[in-house]
Amino acid sequence: MDASEIKKLIISSLNADTNTVEVSRKLEEEGISYNFSHNFGDKVLNKLFSAGLTINREVEFVKYMNFAFYRIALTGVAAIIVLLISIFLMQGSLSLNSFLGLSDSYDESIVCLLTGN
Amino acid sequence: MIKESYNITEEDELVKACLNGDKNAFGEIVNRYQKMVARTVKGMLGDSVFAEDIGQEVFINLYHSLSEFRGEAKLSTYIQKIAVNLTLNEIKRRKRFFSMFSQKANNEMHEFEIADHNSEESREASEIVNKALLAMDPKFRIILTMRMLQGYSTKETAEILDLPIGTVLSRLSRAQEQLRNILVKL
Repeated sequence: MDASEIKKLIISSLNADTNTVEVSRKLEEEGISYNFSHNFGDKVLNKLFSAGLTINREVEFVKYMNFAFYRIALTGVAAIIVLLISIFLMQGSLSLNSFLGLSDSYDESIVCLLTGN
Repeated sequence: MIKESYNITEEDELVKACLNGDKNAFGEIVNRYQKMVARTVKGMLGDSVFAEDIGQEVFINLYHSLSEFRGEAKLSTYIQKIAVNLTLNEIKRRKRFFSMFSQKANNEMHEFEIADHNSEESREASEIVNKALLAMDPKFRIILTMRMLQGYSTKETAEILDLPIGTVLSRLSRAQEQLRNILVKL
């Protein structure tokens, strides 16, 4: 069955009067089948009946957290690089004073700000 | 762990045996219905690493709620309802979680591995089906999964999704419209 025939078949499955059993059978003949891993049943029974039960959601939560951490870390690194570039372009160097927003020259306005005089 | 063959063939007897603590009887239920659950879960979520976890959760939920099964509907319908609810909840949860990040991340979660098919033609067919499914709105995707992969009638689809038949019929035509638009681009 070529791609256009597959597409027609899929679309026809949403006609109210289509024999959907026949559609799913044809698709399975075309190799469209879904299975879990070969030891799926054992995994389910282990989760249900083994003493050291690990809650599925916890594992999943850890997976999500790893994914989230990866995203956040990448975003953070990108932000730091942009910040460094912008400081360099604005201040002309990457000295401590540049980071603090202070120029190398003495600025008496800072003294005034700190001392109040 | 699961026995190769089980002597109980009737569904209600299997359920009773499970309720009496027969682990092998539950193993038989898992054996009988795992393919059906795989079609729903993987059809809806794609063949991702999370789909199998949800599949396991379906049977764990079934085990814990088996005492509530009154036998008015078929066991397959009961399992299918659990599978649909858990899958739709998972989609909602993913949407909430990944909306905090980027659309790219969301798409990455939907990536699926194409099963090892024998021919190029069948691989292409799988790609079309999977891409079409994942591109659809979840409320239409579930209708397509029930019809195309499970082979359910309109009445059966309505029963499993707890929707009036009129609603299913209206979703069928809207889903078909969306599907046509998606398939044109594939």
